[in-house]
Amino acid sequence: MQLFIGGASAGKRDAVKQRVPGAGWWRLAPGQRLPEVAHVMLPNTPLVLHGLFEWLTAALDSDFSSDEWRAQWREDLQRLNQTAAEDNVALVIIANELGRGLVPIARDQRRLRDLSGWFTQDAAAHAEQVWYVRHGLLQALKG
Amino acid sequence: MIVFVSGGARPGKSHVAEQCVLQAANGKPCFYVATASVYDDEMAERVAHHKAERSTSSSVSSWVTLEAPLAIDQAVSQVPDGHAALLDCLTLWGSQVMFHEEDDESEPLSTTEGFSLLVRCLQDARARNITSVIVSNDLNEAPLPNGSETLRYVEFLQMLHRWLATEADSVIEVVAGQPIEWKAVANL
Repeated sequence: MQLFIGGASAGKRDAVKQRVPGAGWWRLAPGQRLPEVAHVMLPNTPLVLHGLFEWLTAALDSDFSSDEWRAQWREDLQRLNQTAAEDNVALVIIANELGRGLVPIARDQRRLRDLSGWFTQDAAAHAEQVWYVRHGLLQALKG
Repeated sequence: MIVFVSGGARPGKSHVAEQCVLQAANGKPCFYVATASVYDDEMAERVAHHKAERSTSSSVSSWVTLEAPLAIDQAVSQVPDGHAALLDCLTLWGSQVMFHEEDDESEPLSTTEGFSLLVRCLQDARARNITSVIVSNDLNEAPLPNGSETLRYVEFLQMLHRWLATEADSVIEVVAGQPIEWKAVANL
């Protein structure tokens, strides 16, 4: 799995398109569990998962605590990785860097920022390669 | 040559950028393209602080200030061939393009016109062997309100940043006064 992280309009999609040509793209639906994307995997074809911002925003409506979310994400990321490996699918996740500005005043925005940071950490732990995209330029953070 | 310097609030971007300009100027006068309009006391204080910094950081070179809230192309056209100029800062210029005040004397610009103006201005500077150092703020790594003017502004600014990062010979991020090179030039 590869993780691309960067701020808004940082050039993440272009970076992925350039580095992972011929991939299928799947926008995560609100509430969708990660292993469910197995049904859109094509053997030997890379798959890019995007739409994390809206997906995490939908997670705000749940009663799950951050720890419960993280436990689920870790389990799901592992299952997703396993399925992808069986079908020889190179997985790519595009995530947003939300943690570098002011602490938002709105409670929901603070929680979104937290969840996004936790998810990114967990995804990075499961990824072999992590890329930081800044103004269209890339830096390898892992792998 | 084009150098793009950016970072968060107050990490020392201007200082790093000034050093780049002084080095490139090699004793010749340096040009400062100021995009700030002084509209209140706080802005006056910020401008005074940056001016004082420039006068203490340059023992040999002198600085010539060119004010350009919008018309940076006209300001850069006054910089003689082979000199060095500092444009500080793109963030403010971008906001003045997008949120044009009614009582502003200059003509309003669309974001497309603004983008073209920046491209033209820096390409002209490069053709005339001017070292252009551009300072900007990274504003895109925080939650942004959906569908808002702020989001549109950050998207516009990021369009400028992505173009600059591609076009620039050197791209520097400044954290706690320390320059981090994203794209390096051997002779800087």
